[in-house]
Order: sequence, then structure tokens, then C-alpha cells
Amino acid sequence: MISRREFVLGASAAIGVVGAVRPLLSWGADEPAIPGKHGMIVRSLRFLDLEMPVEYGNSLITPVEHFFVRNHMHEPSTVDPGEWRLSIGGEVEKPLTLTLAELTKMEQHTVIDTLECAGNGRAFAVPHVPGVQWEKGAVGTARFSGPRLRDVLERAEVTPTGKHVMFRGLDAVPGKVPAFIRSIPIEKATDGDTLVALHMNGAVLSKHHGFPARALVPGWIGAASCKWLTEIEALDKEFDGNFMSPGYRMPNQPVKPGEAVKVEETHPATALNVKSLIARPGDGASVKSRTVHVQGVAWAGEADIAKVEVSTDSGATWQPAQLGKEQSHYAWRLWSYSWNAPKPGTYTIVSRATDTQGRMQPDSVQWNPSGYLINVVDRVQIHVQA
Amino acid sequence: MLLALLLSLTCVAVLRPQSADLPSGPLQAKMKTACLECHDSGIIVQQRLGKAAWTKEVDKMIKWGAVVDPGDRDAFIEYLSENFPADKEPDVAPRTARAKKK
Repeated sequence: MISRREFVLGASAAIGVVGAVRPLLSWGADEPAIPGKHGMIVRSLRFLDLEMPVEYGNSLITPVEHFFVRNHMHEPSTVDPGEWRLSIGGEVEKPLTLTLAELTKMEQHTVIDTLECAGNGRAFAVPHVPGVQWEKGAVGTARFSGPRLRDVLERAEVTPTGKHVMFRGLDAVPGKVPAFIRSIPIEKATDGDTLVALHMNGAVLSKHHGFPARALVPGWIGAASCKWLTEIEALDKEFDGNFMSPGYRMPNQPVKPGEAVKVEETHPATALNVKSLIARPGDGASVKSRTVHVQGVAWAGEADIAKVEVSTDSGATWQPAQLGKEQSHYAWRLWSYSWNAPKPGTYTIVSRATDTQGRMQPDSVQWNPSGYLINVVDRVQIHVQA
Repeated sequence: MLLALLLSLTCVAVLRPQSADLPSGPLQAKMKTACLECHDSGIIVQQRLGKAAWTKEVDKMIKWGAVVDPGDRDAFIEYLSENFPADKEPDVAPRTARAKKK
């Protein structure tokens, strides 16, 4: 058992040393240095929570340096890949333990997935709700690869009683905080796209993203994709823990802003909503030319994007945006729209996505007590100068 | 050698990257001891909550191991409600340093 203080010091040292020498290198006085994470919005340094500035939502693959980080606990201080093991147990015939080398030798599968924190957009909930006050950038798309979770589970031979699959990570838990353990249904775990991911964008997972292995549950809220994975357990029912209930649950019915919701009237948050993001121009931008190139991304969890529309008159009228050619199930889709402003002035540009399930972004925040899965249309205000 | 010593001393002096400090006042020191043991101040100063919501948060943190003298609980809630109320303008988050240009 390690004390809270040891955890704190260990986790802090990992990000603090470079920050400490920063003044000697003449970097900005108010800019903490996080190695490998550049120009990110700092929501929290300890635990580390970093948001992607929206202007980086301009490519199919988000570079790791700009990929958001959501940690509930302290990152494990050190993980020796030679010593690390992944155990698989619970409702299985053959409990087993796998090394990193064994996982690497299994057939590798690649999924391009848009990961989004369930709380992305929480800052727009009114009344405000507690939690990391993410605005728009707790989202990113990466190419993940590793063995299919289905193949790993097949080795352990899950019994018919195994209905859910639980993930435990190596997060260092302070105090009496409940461990970050969650589960997903067996159907999702064995769909062939859910991975034990070892690589991200062609490189070994970085520490902030779960080295040496993480679950990758494509199309679902980021919390499903447990980092620093060390234990998988097949369960006969949904895992009973804080981060399954009351955490990460959505009301069964729409609720009025500020209304309390009983936990019995909620269900686990799973797949992501349909959503779009305007990467450029930025909110508050002053544009010199009347020809304005609007671009961004749109995603829909387990569905695909059917269309993105753009309004340049605060949502009164809509025009179709052009969708990018690059497509991958679970991945966001680039889109763009070129517009000639009729005259100089201030305009509100709005983007609205619709998916293949017929879901369309709402024009106002769908409030819920934890600020989850907020997918209101995106808006930026710009000033056209000439 | 001298530079190495200077670097190591600097590292010890400012081990943690700094977030916005908690507002001054008689509760500041106690808040730092109780809350910043596990997390930094940034997660506190970005919240905008009413008193009822702050009460829930304080009680949750005590349940999760924050060491708060029972006699200070109400004062903690008051401190947070007064400094980070629902109608206060949003916090402006800092950015991490950008990569140095090569």
C-alpha cells in the first residue's frame, strides 16, 4: 500500500521537473510544461486533464501531442513492460495471465476511433454541474492497434454466465477514492473492434494514454476505454462500483435544467452522440476576407455521419457542408464550407451534424445532472472586416 | 557542474507545476491541507456551483478521504460557495507550453 503523499509526489515529479526548469529555458511564465503535450488547455495538472484546442480538429488523425488527456486518478508512476501482466479471470474456464510480448504476438487489429470524454461540453450546462469543466476539445481521433479483446477472451473461454467484462487499470488511487473500474456488456467486448490497444498512431502508447495497454471500446464514451489495463474479469452482471453507478449514467427521460434524477431512473452512458466541431475560424476571430473558409469535424459514435450543415445567420437557414473523402467507421469526418459574407460585420456561424441513425444535434444543451454527452450545435462568432 | 546543481536545486524548489492559488482568507491554509493533498487547485477554481452543490461536493470529498475537521465542514462550504458561486464569470484555463521551434 502506498500512501497518498507518495502517490502525489510520484505523479507530480513526472510532470513537474520539466516545469521546474522552464524559467531557465525562458518559456512563458504561466505555461506549465508537460512533455509531449504542447499548447493544450489545462483543466487540471494533478490529476492530469488536458483539452485539445479546437483548431486542432482539422485532421482525421489527431497527433498524440494534441490528443486530450482525461485522468481520474494519478498515473502509475512507473510501469516496467517486462514485469507488467494482464490477467483475465472471473466467469471463464481458463483464467490466464498474458505478458506484453504474448499480446504483441497475437493478431493485431487496427481501429481509427474518435474518443470523446462523456463530459465534453460540460462547461455549457446551465445551471453548472460539478466536474472537469470541459468546453469543446475533450475529443480526438487516433489509430489504435492491438489484439482484439474477443481473441483475448477466447483464450480464457468465457462461460455462458459471463455477461459483462470489467476492466481495472493501474491508476494510483488516493485516499478512500473508489478505484476506477468499469465494465462493458459482453456483446460490445466481443464485437471484433474492441481492442486491447498497445499502439496509438503507430507508436507504443504513451504514458498519458495508458502504456503499456489500454482497452479501446470504439464509439463509446472515453471512460469505457480503461487505461494502464492490468486486469480483465468476466462478470455475470454489470460491475457494481462508483464509476458505473452513480457515475457515468444518463437520465432515462429528458429532464429540466437543475432537476434532480434518481439513480433508478438512469442508465449507463455508452455510445457517443452525434456532434460537430468548428475548428476554423475560431470563436471571436476577425477575418480580413469576405470569403470565409469554415472547416471542422463531425462524429457519431457507433453511427456514421450522414450530413453536416452550416448556418451563417445564427441558425435561421442552413446549407450543406462538403464532407471529407476520408472515412472510417468510429472516426470523425472532416467537413468544410466556403462562404462569401454579403458585407462586413459580425456573424454567428453554426454547424449541425446528422448521422445515419437519423439523429441530429439539438440547438440547445440537453441538460443532465452530470453534464454528460452534451452535443448542442457548435457556434462561433466572427467579424468580417472588409 | 554548477549548472547541474542549479537545475537540481530549482527542481526541488518548484517540484509541482502551479495552478491558480486558492483565494486568501482564514480558510485558505486549511483548504490547501485538506484538498490539495490529492489534487491541485485548478479543479476547484473552475467550478461554478450553488451552495447545495458545494455541500454535496464537500461531503463527497470527506467520504473519499479528505481530512476535514467536522467543525470546519460548514466553513469549507461557505468558503467555496462565496468564492466560486454559480454566477461568477468562467475561469480562464492556462495552456501547456508549446513545442520549441527547431
